[in-house]
Amino acid sequence: MTARSSTPPTPTKNVPTEIDRERLQALVARGAQLVEVLPAEEYEEDHLPAAVSLPLRHVDKEATTLLDRNRPVIVYCWDTA
Amino acid sequence: MKNKTKTLVKCVRCGTPIESCAFCDEPGCRTPTCYECVSTVLVQAKRQPHTHGG
Amino acid sequence: MSPRAAWRLESLGFGEVYDYVDGKVDWMAAGLPTEGTNAGRPRAGDAARKDVPTAGLKERLGDVRDRIRAMGWDAVVVVNEERVVLGLLRSKELDGDADLHIEQAMRPGPSTFRPYVSIKEMATFMVEHKLESAPVTTSDGRLVGLLLQQDAIRLAGEK
Repeated sequence: MTARSSTPPTPTKNVPTEIDRERLQALVARGAQLVEVLPAEEYEEDHLPAAVSLPLRHVDKEATTLLDRNRPVIVYCWDTA
Repeated sequence: MKNKTKTLVKCVRCGTPIESCAFCDEPGCRTPTCYECVSTVLVQAKRQPHTHGG
Repeated sequence: MSPRAAWRLESLGFGEVYDYVDGKVDWMAAGLPTEGTNAGRPRAGDAARKDVPTAGLKERLGDVRDRIRAMGWDAVVVVNEERVVLGLLRSKELDGDADLHIEQAMRPGPSTFRPYVSIKEMATFMVEHKLESAPVTTSDGRLVGLLLQQDAIRLAGEK
C-alpha cells in the first residue's frame, strides 16, 4: 500500500513574465503601467516615456499606493547585467 | 611554417594587452584603449546604476 | 533589480507583472526616445549624418568614389540590404584601385557606436584618437548615420 503524501499540492503561482521591447510597447498601448525601479536620480536623467519612478527599496512601501493592482505592470532597470 | 606573432599594445586605461585600439582600430594609435574601457567610458556618461546592486 | 521588483510586486498581490529584462540600455540602443533631463542633451544619434552615402559589397570602387565625391563626401559606409553595417571606407581606402570591389577595398567590421552615447564623450574620444568619423548603429547593427568629428566637437561645445 502506497503512503499518501501529506504535502498539499503547491498552488499555481503567477510568475513574472520576461518580455522584449516589442511586447512592452504593445502592453503599454493597452494600458500597462511602466515602472522604472532604478534610483530616482537615474530616472530623472533618462526614463522610458510614460514610466513612473519606483526605486526598488521603496517598492514595499509605495507600490500599492502608486500603482493600480488591477492593471498589468511592467518593471525595468538598466539591463540584464 | 612560420607562426605570425601578433604585436600587442597595452590599453592606456587598464593595461590589458590588446591587438589594436577598440575605439579607432588604427595600428599606430597613440592612446590604444580596450573594448571594456571604451564601453565603460561611453556608457558611464549615463552613470552605471549597479553600484547600488543589480 | 527588475527581477527582484517583479517578484516583490507579485507577492504584494499584483496579478500581472512583466519584466523588461533588457532594460533601458536596450531601449536607448534601439534609438527610441526617452524623457528626463538628459533627453534634451545631444547624443551621437542626434548628430550623426543620416544622409551619409552607402555602398554595397559588389560595387566597383571607382564608381562609388566618383559618386560620393560628387556629393561632397569623403567617406562611405558599406551596408547590406538590411542596412546592417559591414564596412567603412575613408579617404585612404577610397584612393585605392578603381577596379576593386568595395568588399576588397573596405575596412571590414569598423567600430560602431550606439545612438545614446553622449556627444561630449564621443567628441573627446574622436579628438584623442584623431578619428574623423564614426558609424552610429542600433543594437542590431543597422546604420543610423555617420558621426563626423567636426559635428561632435561643435555640438559638445554648445550649451
